[in-house]
Amino acid sequence: MAKLIAQLRLVAGAMALAIIVAVAAPQVSSAQQPVNPTANAVQEQQLLKSLKTIDGRGTIPDKKSYVLEQPGRDWRHFHQVTLHWIGGIAILGVLALLVIFYLTRGMIRIESGRSGRTVVRFTAVERFVHWLTATCFIILALSGLNITFGRALLLPLIGPGAFTTWSEFAKYAHNYLSFPFTIGVVAIFLMWIAGNIPNRVDVEWLKRGGGMVGHDHPPAYRFNAGQKMIYWIVVIGGTAVAVTGYLLMFPFYGGLGVGDMQIAQVVHGVVAVLFVAAMLGHIYIGTIGMEGAFEAMGEGTVDVNWAKEHHRLWLEDEMGRVGPNESQSQPQARPMATPAE
Amino acid sequence: MKAFISACIVAIIVAGVGLFVLQSLQVPADVAFSTSSVRLGS
Repeated sequence: MAKLIAQLRLVAGAMALAIIVAVAAPQVSSAQQPVNPTANAVQEQQLLKSLKTIDGRGTIPDKKSYVLEQPGRDWRHFHQVTLHWIGGIAILGVLALLVIFYLTRGMIRIESGRSGRTVVRFTAVERFVHWLTATCFIILALSGLNITFGRALLLPLIGPGAFTTWSEFAKYAHNYLSFPFTIGVVAIFLMWIAGNIPNRVDVEWLKRGGGMVGHDHPPAYRFNAGQKMIYWIVVIGGTAVAVTGYLLMFPFYGGLGVGDMQIAQVVHGVVAVLFVAAMLGHIYIGTIGMEGAFEAMGEGTVDVNWAKEHHRLWLEDEMGRVGPNESQSQPQARPMATPAE
Repeated sequence: MKAFISACIVAIIVAGVGLFVLQSLQVPADVAFSTSSVRLGS
């Protein structure tokens, strides 16, 4: 009897084993199908695309250190790609336009020649403020462009050692020269605001292209429409880069977060490169673009004929008030070879 | 030329003043953005 029970137990066990094998067989066959080995792994880019934000939990007390967030990637892309394109197109575009303009138009001459009589254009204080702002701007621009383009353009040329040293000094200069630059922008705003309010004369000046093409000389008061544009670019652009620059210099003050700092950097970068592009035009017309223009900021006086051609309404006011400064002689115009001539 | 030279001198002076002001206000990044339990640098 006991033997029979043992045999029955053996048969029951064998049947149970057969049932288990029969049920498990389909699963085994499906597990052996070829599968994508990374199908179950998290693809970072897919995850970032499918989710606007990735929520997590941090244990570091300083929550500003949580940089693993989507806006951080957007900002990095702007900083490393978009800003390069904006700056490159703006600056190289303006440079290309200036080269083309110079090659076709050449230096804008004093058509009637120099009179030998001068009139005071800018006082010593005005020139001081202009050069205070201008010299700071040039260093700020070069050191700022180094931050954006230096690693791509300068590092391969001068090597890591020299680039590091230069960049360190450039950043110090960028920080500290912001103070005299800001003072200069404020002084420019207060000093020249009265002469830079747009008026009907500016509309006419713009309609006639500012006399840039051909031999037209549209009338203008002390500042023409082009100079007024430069003035407001300096005031508004200078204020924007100063405010955003100080936000970056004093990060996270006043309860600002990472997103605020990113906005400040984006505004600072975009305004700065556009500012540089605009100032290239200003520098051009104040130096090689127009005969007699640099003397206004260099010596403070301009030839009467220059003033008559470019700022006739202002000259009439000045002549009625003080008369030309005949005690100062002007050098005679020297013919300069230009590519267009 | 005098205006340019004096502008450069004043810019350097103001920048120097800014240097001392900033040194008194700013703290190093490893101090500003870490807690007392963090050790950075050598």
